[in-house]
Amino acid sequence: MAREVATPEKQAELLKDQGNLYFKKERLGAAIEAYTEAITLCPKVPVYWTNRALCHRKRNAWDLVEADCRKALELDNSSTKAHYMLGLALLQGKRYSDAIAELEKALELGRSGKSGSYMVEEIWQELAKARYSEWEQAASVRQHQQQELKEAQLLANERKMSELSNCNEKYQERLQTLSDVFEKASAPDRPAEVPDHFCCKITMDLFRDPVITPSGVTYERSALLEHLRKVGNFDPLTRTPLTPEQVFPNLALKEAVQAFLAEHGWAYKTY
Amino acid sequence: MSSSGYGQKEKVLSRIAATRLQKELTEWQVNPPCGFEHKVTESLQRWIIEVHGAPGTLYEGETFHLQVDFPEHYPMEAPVVIFMQIPPLHPHIYSNGHICLDILYDSWSPAMTVSSICISILSMLSSSTVKARPPDDDRYVRNCRNGRSPKETRWWFHDDKV
Repeated sequence: MAREVATPEKQAELLKDQGNLYFKKERLGAAIEAYTEAITLCPKVPVYWTNRALCHRKRNAWDLVEADCRKALELDNSSTKAHYMLGLALLQGKRYSDAIAELEKALELGRSGKSGSYMVEEIWQELAKARYSEWEQAASVRQHQQQELKEAQLLANERKMSELSNCNEKYQERLQTLSDVFEKASAPDRPAEVPDHFCCKITMDLFRDPVITPSGVTYERSALLEHLRKVGNFDPLTRTPLTPEQVFPNLALKEAVQAFLAEHGWAYKTY
Repeated sequence: MSSSGYGQKEKVLSRIAATRLQKELTEWQVNPPCGFEHKVTESLQRWIIEVHGAPGTLYEGETFHLQVDFPEHYPMEAPVVIFMQIPPLHPHIYSNGHICLDILYDSWSPAMTVSSICISILSMLSSSTVKARPPDDDRYVRNCRNGRSPKETRWWFHDDKV
């Protein structure tokens, strides 16, 4: 009896299924082998690459994650997973601005696609981490520069003062002004509390996607929708009746939050 | 009898719940509601709060303790709030510590906080004109003997006037 010869495509699919099974059982080596075989048979299927990248990610082999994701993106630039994992790999390598670009792309694709809010939440967390790290790095450079500048200035002033000892008071004043200026310049980099008006009354966290109700109260979209679904059809603060169709994006506040974050990178810190 | 759990499975807080509780705790430390004191516990999921009866009310000079347990999906679900032994003598507070207060059950809103719950409870105490247990105390407490949570009660709310 002649058995139907499996096409390379079918074989590759079977290998992928096998790989998925191994992956679930945490047998990463076996999973990688299966995906590699699938790739050899059909190198143009992006999922084989992203699935293998997922295994490499579990093993913290970030260079391999990067290579596989780049290959997957060459084949399909709209893969949320590939952008996401590439972002993670870049984040590991402290290449923050590249990581942010990839994670932003992933977030955009995740929001428009059907991958579900869970994935979007995860991407957001990593993006916040990347932005925080980027800020941390930049802030420490700025602090260092300001410190150097400040010391150089003070030194120069002291020299002048000894030359003109009779003008002592005036120079004291200038010194004070100078240190005030430095103080102000470094203020945005000092972590503080996020102002309440940038935070949702439900999540108590910074707004990401604020929506406004007919009562004029603004909430985080996902939290408000969950409330309407689970708790009841009313505005959480004013208790007036409310349905999901009645809420609209609060774009002005969203922009204000973004402007605040651009100035105060420490606010990306997640608990 | 253990005061914890009510036989329910202890679920860890969701990330959203943990973030929010962390913020509530920070805010409480900066600006605690008047008449309350948060007792430090090892977990974010259970708060023990000391309540001081307000001056000029029936409970002046008395101290009570509230136990606040947060569910996995706080603040989409109300926390379980009960008085620990011995609860104040009040027409809406049962001798097992359960509190008949609508915001803890049907009228919960995720915009409420531990702080606002505390203020409601203190205002409920302060407006009392008589120190007595609810008329159905014996029956209710008997029905809760298997460790039932107050959230499983079908509350029939007494009027606001006490």
